Amino acid sequence: MTVLRHLDLAVPDGCRTALVGPSGAGKTTLLRAVCGLEPLQAGTVSLGDRRVDDLPAHRRRCAVVFQEPRLLEHLDVVDNVAFALRAAGVRRAERRARARRLLSDVGLPGFEARGVAGLSGGEQQRVALARALCADPVLLLLDEPLASVDPNRRRDLRRLIVDLQEARGVTMLLVTHDRDEAAEIGQRVALMLEGRIVQHDEPRALYERPLSAAVARFFGAAVLRGEVRAGHLVTGAGSVPVPGPDGAGAVAVRPERVLLDPEGPLALTVHESVYAGTHTRLVMRAAGVTLEARCDPGDAPPAGARVRVALPFEHVWRLPVDDGAAVTV
Amino acid sequence: MLAPALGVLALLFGGALVGAVRQSLEPPLGGGVSTWSVDSWRALAGDPAFWDALAFSARTAVVATLAASALALLIAGSLRRRGTRLRALVALPVPVPHLLVAVTAVLWLSPGGLADRALGALPVDLVRDPLGIGVALVYVYKETPFLVLLLLAVMGTDLDEREEMARVMGHGRALRMRLVVWPAVRAPLATGALIVGAFVFGAFEVPLAIGPTYPPALAEYAYESTRGSALTGSGRAAAALLVAAAASVLLAAAAVRIARAGRR
Repeated sequence: MTVLRHLDLAVPDGCRTALVGPSGAGKTTLLRAVCGLEPLQAGTVSLGDRRVDDLPAHRRRCAVVFQEPRLLEHLDVVDNVAFALRAAGVRRAERRARARRLLSDVGLPGFEARGVAGLSGGEQQRVALARALCADPVLLLLDEPLASVDPNRRRDLRRLIVDLQEARGVTMLLVTHDRDEAAEIGQRVALMLEGRIVQHDEPRALYERPLSAAVARFFGAAVLRGEVRAGHLVTGAGSVPVPGPDGAGAVAVRPERVLLDPEGPLALTVHESVYAGTHTRLVMRAAGVTLEARCDPGDAPPAGARVRVALPFEHVWRLPVDDGAAVTV
Repeated sequence: MLAPALGVLALLFGGALVGAVRQSLEPPLGGGVSTWSVDSWRALAGDPAFWDALAFSARTAVVATLAASALALLIAGSLRRRGTRLRALVALPVPVPHLLVAVTAVLWLSPGGLADRALGALPVDLVRDPLGIGVALVYVYKETPFLVLLLLAVMGTDLDEREEMARVMGHGRALRMRLVVWPAVRAPLATGALIVGAFVFGAFEVPLAIGPTYPPALAEYAYESTRGSALTGSGRAAAALLVAAAASVLLAAAAVRIARAGRR
């Protein structure tokens, strides 16, 4: 079965790149193909100037942090971290000294002699991260490394991953389905949908300047379609000023930019009003138009309320490609 | 919750053990009801046939266990990524009774047996051979699938994932076998091998069906002792069975200890 096709992804040297996409998009397959765990039917994988697609996984110098820590229970923490150095023929004392330093770097000093079975999920993943760095890889691959970590610990680990990458300058490719995690960790983000990279840019571009409706929707923006006449997008719920030429068009608007305004040009009905802790999420609909907004929990209208909405011109993004429903997110 | 099972075990196994200890310490000619005697133990220690039987049982157990373990490792290694149908085929001998396998082996392998008639004279005698090769082979055939099942239970997705991790950490096939696969399988293999060893050491029916006339296996020796002389033999038989039971208990205790250490 062909999972990836017409795919070209360049990961800049010394940079953090996040590959994001929904489950089943082919992200993990791509990561496994890069490190040699998945055979390629066609195409090439290069690290710097060196072609590696004909090398077995253990010769590629790509270390991987998997979703599950995959620690070896018969070894203590320090020997788990030093595991890659055994293959490199490094002497035991040297291996353990380097592993100890890395344990300290990942915030686990004093854990050297402990067994891995008693560690928390977050601690185990820190050990896995130290183990990968201990291999001194040319490319560090992380496959959903925080998916099994307690949500309260995720932020710390995200920060740790960024700090360690910056301190060491190792080239890093992170695979995740969490767009916020991708934006927080990645200096560049590539969105993968149905086996293809549909946009690869800095995080802000994918959020605020999506290339297509599919990209906009994945990153949480609403897409409005209609006819643009005299600089206004005409929809069933009203007309809003939009940039770009007249003709058929589509725009993307992020929920945090949508304003509830009694003088606003769009008339909509609140379909959902959901309290989300820091804000209330509103889903509003009318005549084929669906918009999402975030508002203060104290001011939130209830479901069923009729509201008027304004879209600030500077935050309305005219989509360069209207791919309609070609890609389902 | 374990009380009913423990009760049954204590009654059957513990009761038999206590009975055997009592019988082995009774005076050989039934004299003096309240007197204890170690004459049966002395007679056992002084009987060369006992030492031959002990050596035969120990040798058969060691050979069968080592051969079955090595074969099980090879088969489990080649089956671990195969489908369930092939695994089920390999596991087929597990529920077949030992005696049935031994009788079938006699039918096929004895001089003038089915194999002789089909292939001509066999190059080695496997029935009644003094070295007990036939006995060991029957146990290898019976116990290898049991060990394969134990090994396949730990050669699942978890082990595959750890091997993948080792691959991307620069470990080639030989290092992965040594540092990832072997540590994962050694505890269940050792546990299973000790269970097999204990079982073969105390076994009776296969040596009786296919083994040599002399030396006998330890259980055969005990059985023959009771037939030789009801008065003097039963104490010696009980003492011989207690030796076999002690060895089995020691091996079982070692198996439990290894299994516990493997889980830590």
